[in-house]
Amino acid sequence: MKEYLKIEAATFGGIMTTLRLATGGVCSLAGLGLDAGEDCKVCLTESLLLLCHAGYAGARIAFYDDGGLFVHIEATGACGEAAPVPEDEISAALLEALAGSVRMEKNGGRLCGVSFRFESDGRN
Amino acid sequence: MEETELFQTYRETGDLAVRNAIVEKYLYVASVLAKKFVGRGVEYDDLYQVAVLALMKGIDRFDERKGVRFSTFITPTITGEIKNYFRDRSRLVHLPRKVAELRGRVKRESDRIVAETGKAPAPRELAALFGVTEEEIVHCMEAGSVVSLDRPIDGEEGATFYDLIAAGGSDPIESLETRDAVKTALKELSPRERELLGYRFGEELSQTATAKRMNVSQMYVSRLERKVLAKLKESLKGGMA
Repeated sequence: MKEYLKIEAATFGGIMTTLRLATGGVCSLAGLGLDAGEDCKVCLTESLLLLCHAGYAGARIAFYDDGGLFVHIEATGACGEAAPVPEDEISAALLEALAGSVRMEKNGGRLCGVSFRFESDGRN
Repeated sequence: MEETELFQTYRETGDLAVRNAIVEKYLYVASVLAKKFVGRGVEYDDLYQVAVLALMKGIDRFDERKGVRFSTFITPTITGEIKNYFRDRSRLVHLPRKVAELRGRVKRESDRIVAETGKAPAPRELAALFGVTEEEIVHCMEAGSVVSLDRPIDGEEGATFYDLIAAGGSDPIESLETRDAVKTALKELSPRERELLGYRFGEELSQTATAKRMNVSQMYVSRLERKVLAKLKESLKGGMA
């Protein structure tokens, strides 16, 4: 798989907009339509929120060309106390509703990574 | 009451008070999801309304015996409805892809030429550059001013462009008044302007074909058409107020 971009966000605070903008750029590069691009940004945001609530400080985000766009988000940073919120369930369901091949990676029962993919033609 | 108990009671009794209690309990899901889709050209209030309607439909379809939590079940349902709403709406206001693409290319090239020469390129030059007709160039530039039917009309409190569209099977008296207003407005046009309207909207000729008939350039037709339509609009606004 060809790698489009890899970003390491040391913190989630104040950088969400930058990450969303970068995601938009990669989506365009990958040939995703406007709607799929927006959906991808929502998925990235939800994934980061889930990892943040799982107690991580930051994340490494990689975008790959696999015929469509494959996104892998891996938690980084000190793992603090998990602070799940009821909306996490909605975040997970939203990911499933918008993206394809959604995978939640866990370590010792705790979420530590999320991956998903989008087709170039917007179908998932 | 717990989630399962609420749904079980509603399924067994069909009691609307129970359904309302469920709606209230899960309104936050509609709100959370509507917020996720803000920033795509649709107001939050509209998205929230779509989400709440989907929530209400979903309550009737949910079966608590299947062991899935309601928020997990309803999220894709609401998301699907919101996405359908975007799709339907965008069909109304989006430019055809070909026009939108050409418009983007024309805009970029025009900007480049202006930066290089200090002079805006003529449609003829752009047409030659992109291998399309002058009319296509003009059409794609004008297409950028497409507006949503939901957009409010300046100075007309509460009115939208949608209100300007005549309804099918309208009142015959109103039709007569409209016809009268149009007749009066047409009288205010010059013979040349009326001739143009006849070709463009009577015979439905293209701007290029109209230009040939009138023995003028297509650009002249385009400019005159804009002027005439603006004149008519003003006149009709005054006449039908």
